[in-house]
Amino acid sequence: MATENQLQVTLVTPERILFDTTAASVDLPSRTGRIEVLPGHAPLMAELGAGDVSLQGSTLETTRWNVSWGFVEVLPNRVTILANDAVAPAAIDVAAARQQLEHAHRLWNEAGDDAEAYEAANHVLEEAQARLSSAETPVS
Amino acid sequence: MANVLDLRRRIRSVKSTRQITRAMKMVSAAKLRRAQDRALAARPYAQRIASVLASLKRRIEVLDPNTGNLRHPLFAVRPEKRILLVIISGDKGFAGAFNTNILKASHQFLALCEDKEVDIEAIGRKARDQMRRRYGVATHDVVQSENPADGSPLTHHVRRRKSRIEVVGDHPGLLEKLNHRVVRELAEEIIRRYTHAEIDACYVVYNEFKSVIQQRVVTERLLPLIEPGSHVIVGATEQTAEERQYAATVAAEAGISPFAEDTSEADEEAAHFGTSDVDYIYEQPATELLNGLLPSYVAAMLFHSLAESVAAEHAARMTAMDAATNNASEMIDSLTLYMNRVRQAAITKEIIEIVSGAAAL
Repeated sequence: MATENQLQVTLVTPERILFDTTAASVDLPSRTGRIEVLPGHAPLMAELGAGDVSLQGSTLETTRWNVSWGFVEVLPNRVTILANDAVAPAAIDVAAARQQLEHAHRLWNEAGDDAEAYEAANHVLEEAQARLSSAETPVS
Repeated sequence: MANVLDLRRRIRSVKSTRQITRAMKMVSAAKLRRAQDRALAARPYAQRIASVLASLKRRIEVLDPNTGNLRHPLFAVRPEKRILLVIISGDKGFAGAFNTNILKASHQFLALCEDKEVDIEAIGRKARDQMRRRYGVATHDVVQSENPADGSPLTHHVRRRKSRIEVVGDHPGLLEKLNHRVVRELAEEIIRRYTHAEIDACYVVYNEFKSVIQQRVVTERLLPLIEPGSHVIVGATEQTAEERQYAATVAAEAGISPFAEDTSEADEEAAHFGTSDVDYIYEQPATELLNGLLPSYVAAMLFHSLAESVAAEHAARMTAMDAATNNASEMIDSLTLYMNRVRQAAITKEIIEIVSGAAAL
């Protein structure tokens, strides 16, 4: 269980719980920007964007995960991340991500005046970009 | 009277059939175990989404007090005139009454929708084939028009309804490799149809599977969302006592627990997600949070139904193949008995011929 200046961090995807561990702090992408959570954070409920979740001071082997879309609940000593998709950077299929990026650009061009299609294209685009940048970041 | 050689051939053929059914039973048992684990692993996410949604819905009014509009179109309740029915069956046969039960429940549901237009989204080859044969596939007209912005040509597909009940959509291979991404796309498509008022309600027929002895075929309402977090069951058929007992015996032989795994502790933890008795800072306004949460919720519900249905299919196949193996063994026994009798009769006949021949000399 988390001690006083530790966070209990859980990453849950629709298919399974990826990890449930303790960490000193968590860095995560919200829809509107990155958030760093330290123990004692005010209760927060936010939408998750596309990008990397990274843990500091945890015992996990992989401390950085690429996530896309979902929700995060922050309580003073607990962070629960519900991600629609999560992969370890090493497991990212770069070729597939490139293809997705191209596909996104195509969608973007085809969207025209349709706000809904535009939104959807942006969604795909952001996800592909986050994947690629995550795969290219060297393992620290 | 059949001769010994024919009987021997028949016994050999039944034996090889028994080998196949036995192998199928073993494969199904292994697949069932995996499917069960997968269904279980998918629960934490689904429950957390459901609990945060329920909590959010308690905190905010469904109607925006400033504008009087609904917070989200999925909460809109319209008179049910057009219904989308999602039928989840299996891809393959040899699973006892599994597919038949699903189709029976679907037909019962369709019989209730007397004057409503129904679109059927059939998942699993068995349901798709039967429904297509019976009701036909939805047709679309291709309409060409010009893009008003720059005059470039645009093609639209316009639905032309020929009969009251039609099959839309095709999802080959969805069950074989159950993947959340694909399920989510399907959920988003259903939501799109609902928000554009192409459908007024969405129901799912599937085989609920808590464990081998806790199964039923249910018809559940997915949309409109009235009380998130609770299942709205409009029709259910339970297993019969004999089916349950037989399934339990077979499962025990295969080393599968007939009881559902105890998840009460994990369930309780999941129920706390987003429901703490504190004032959350919501980073986004509630309406925006709902926009993200509702598709996830619908996708999780659909994924849950699919995962349970896959587990149920394997369980049904395991039981059916065990029964087939037993029947084959019985058949082999009786054929062997008959063959021995025939052989004995032939020997006796020959002896009588020899003896009477000798006596005539």
